[in-house]
Amino acid sequence: MKTWQRSLLVLLGLMALCGTAAYAQVPNPPATEFPYTGNRMAVWIVAQLHILFAAFILGAPIFVVISEWLGYRKQDPRYDRLAKEVMKVTVILYSMTALTGGLFIFVLLATYAQFTTWLINHFFLIFAVIYPLLFIGETIVLYLYFYTWDSWKGEKKGRHIALGVLLNLIGTITLFVIDGPTSFMNTPSKAVEGISLVDFIQTASLWEKVFNYSWMPMNLHRLVGNVTFGGFITGLIAAYMYMGAKNDNERSYYDWMGFVGNLIGVGALLFLPFMGYLLAYELCDYDASICPYMMADQLSMFFEMQGAMVGLIFLASNYYIWLSMKRIEGVERVRMSALTMLVMIALPFVMTYAWTIFPVPDPTSLGVLLPLVLAPVILGKVIPPLGRITVSSRTFIKVGFLMVVVGNAIWMTPHGFVATQALATEHLELPSDWGFLALMPAKNSAAFTLVFVTVVNYILYNRAIRQGTIVWGKIDFVSQFVLIFLAFSAIWTMGLMGAVRSLLRKYFHTYNLMPDFTAESFTPTLSYSAWWITAITLAFYIIVSFAIVVTLRVSEGKAHAPEAKPIPAGAE
Amino acid sequence: MAEQPSLIKNIIKKGIIGLIVGGVLVGVAKALTFPPVFQVMFFSYAILGAAVFILLDAPSIKPIGGLKAIVALVAFYAVLSGAYIGGATFLPQYDPEDEKGKIEKLLKAKRAASEQGKAEELLARAKALSEKADAIMARLQTVGGVAEAPAGADGAKAAGAPAGGDLVALGKEQWNLQECYNCHKLFGEGGKKRGPEMDNIGNLMKPDELKQKVMDPQTWMAEGFEKEYEKKKMPNKYKELMEEKEVDALVAFLSSLKNTAVNTPKPIKKK
Repeated sequence: MKTWQRSLLVLLGLMALCGTAAYAQVPNPPATEFPYTGNRMAVWIVAQLHILFAAFILGAPIFVVISEWLGYRKQDPRYDRLAKEVMKVTVILYSMTALTGGLFIFVLLATYAQFTTWLINHFFLIFAVIYPLLFIGETIVLYLYFYTWDSWKGEKKGRHIALGVLLNLIGTITLFVIDGPTSFMNTPSKAVEGISLVDFIQTASLWEKVFNYSWMPMNLHRLVGNVTFGGFITGLIAAYMYMGAKNDNERSYYDWMGFVGNLIGVGALLFLPFMGYLLAYELCDYDASICPYMMADQLSMFFEMQGAMVGLIFLASNYYIWLSMKRIEGVERVRMSALTMLVMIALPFVMTYAWTIFPVPDPTSLGVLLPLVLAPVILGKVIPPLGRITVSSRTFIKVGFLMVVVGNAIWMTPHGFVATQALATEHLELPSDWGFLALMPAKNSAAFTLVFVTVVNYILYNRAIRQGTIVWGKIDFVSQFVLIFLAFSAIWTMGLMGAVRSLLRKYFHTYNLMPDFTAESFTPTLSYSAWWITAITLAFYIIVSFAIVVTLRVSEGKAHAPEAKPIPAGAE
Repeated sequence: MAEQPSLIKNIIKKGIIGLIVGGVLVGVAKALTFPPVFQVMFFSYAILGAAVFILLDAPSIKPIGGLKAIVALVAFYAVLSGAYIGGATFLPQYDPEDEKGKIEKLLKAKRAASEQGKAEELLARAKALSEKADAIMARLQTVGGVAEAPAGADGAKAAGAPAGGDLVALGKEQWNLQECYNCHKLFGEGGKKRGPEMDNIGNLMKPDELKQKVMDPQTWMAEGFEKEYEKKKMPNKYKELMEEKEVDALVAFLSSLKNTAVNTPKPIKKK
């Protein structure tokens, strides 16, 4: 090497040294690394907690205002008391929503600064103007609604209910608005012909980004889910208060409150499988490769667990109806059409066949479903002797439980007991002739069976309370554990499905658009996820339990209108 | 609703019925050639059914309060938590290690092109140059002798670079990385009838036609897959996600598939 070459190399070396030193002078903050949990899990924990609180404060006011309206219309003070007690808990949890929301943003900015800034820039108007304004508006209306409860009564009650409606309107708009960026991360708007996705997103309008494939399905799914969640948390509040009740008056009131909370929770739950299906359908429609990732590969066992959870929730909610009926005097006289029972038994098998021939969303399947469901009514009228064949309510409900177990079994039957199709062998897969058990027609019919049995059980319950007398406060004590179980399981399932929705983005922050270069962008195991979902559920439960005890047990001594007397159920 | 049998009698009666039903289900499942894991599953459903019916006829429990209620609640939460974690752990687990290597390869090009990638590359270059400078300085201090070119990072990089040759093998890797097997059957594996079987595609399409199909799935349709074509089942995303050379490798691999024994559907030009 010649001298000038050596000199050049030395010069380059010195420049490199200086360059390194200069680079080191850039005031970059040290990278945030959460100990033990890692960054992704830290975001997961805070985000999930925030969503749980937000779900409650958005879901609870929906039935709070309905309950208040029912109390006003029926002149039944119990509804008003229920509404106010749930609202007390909501107010405390509202501050927790704001707290965890702020924490969520801080953790996100510290751990995924580049992506967070990118997302905020794309939805700047939402994050900087619309969302804060809605949140402020909701805060004002929420506190106004709560603190005018006692003063706006009598003639002013209508005004107070209208305020409650306004609160829900703002809450729902807030949900829809924030679902824009959330759903965008899963299904960013598709590029128009001839333009790359990256270029299209750079120039797309805010509305184009918000109105993406999964936005409306997610809105509907979350809206219904929030009401379900609110209902089950009301059941939880009632169960705690029932357990701590000091006299029969309190016991009968909280027994009634638990029943109403469960009724609302189950009522909304009936729509939830279909809303979930709609969301999954749109996700698959957006990108067909999402479907196998969800159902056949990495997340397939997450859905197996979801099937188990949904099955348990339906079993528990029907068990609660059973326990509720046991406290109705004269229930032995109640009977139900044997035709309805036959339809209930035939439903999963007939509809699996029908949906295989006419897959959803082909409306032709309604030509089978509607006549089948309406058959007991139509046949009972056309051939009266058939309508007169009845079975006891006890037998009917037991057969219903059998069909819930059958429905659960179909829902939970996987194509193979493998975490990914790459590991599938014939020793772990369904025989080819029975492969249909793992397909969507079978799953849809299973979901429909669970819903049908639950609806029919409530019809039976309604018939029972018209013929008998409810003895409030005398429900089997195990029912309180059923209410707690329902709330716990609903929260756990929310955590599980929230994880699934986030993981569907695979190794992207925003699917196909913004890659996640961190070492944590892989799919975690179901077991690992379950540990954290349970931890988050317990953390949420501890805070909610604290809120219930602080807000309601403290005011326990105050007098309430007596509701304890057993009343003829059909009288109100 | 009716007279309640004692808990023990209830458990024994329903338990026996559950075992009998479970046994029958296992027998039927065996006869229908269900694998043992499904036989166990059917048996467990029978036991679940028995547990449900035991609960339905279980005697009422009396109210508890105070400390007893708190202890019962804590125990209940512990049981629920344990059951859910246990249930989730009992199911087959996906091994994230399978995915980590894949993700690393898939994101390699994008990472290099990102700001973070550029910064990392700059730092690596600066470090290599710094090492070179140190080595030269050390040699200069010793004075004299013919300086040899120091073995630097570039040399190491050149040694570690992948052998470029086998395009078909690289294409096969792309087939796996992009998870084409989820929709297309090949060598008798994968596929859920969402897309055509590919074993003979090399005889039916030229390389540039295959490339056209990958880059814009609406340009070609497989005969018999009209519904899938209409629903745009094949994602139109590979032109965004894959590098040009990756698409070329995939096309080379697909072009090599010429097994006439497999009935790959005829491609129809659409655009």
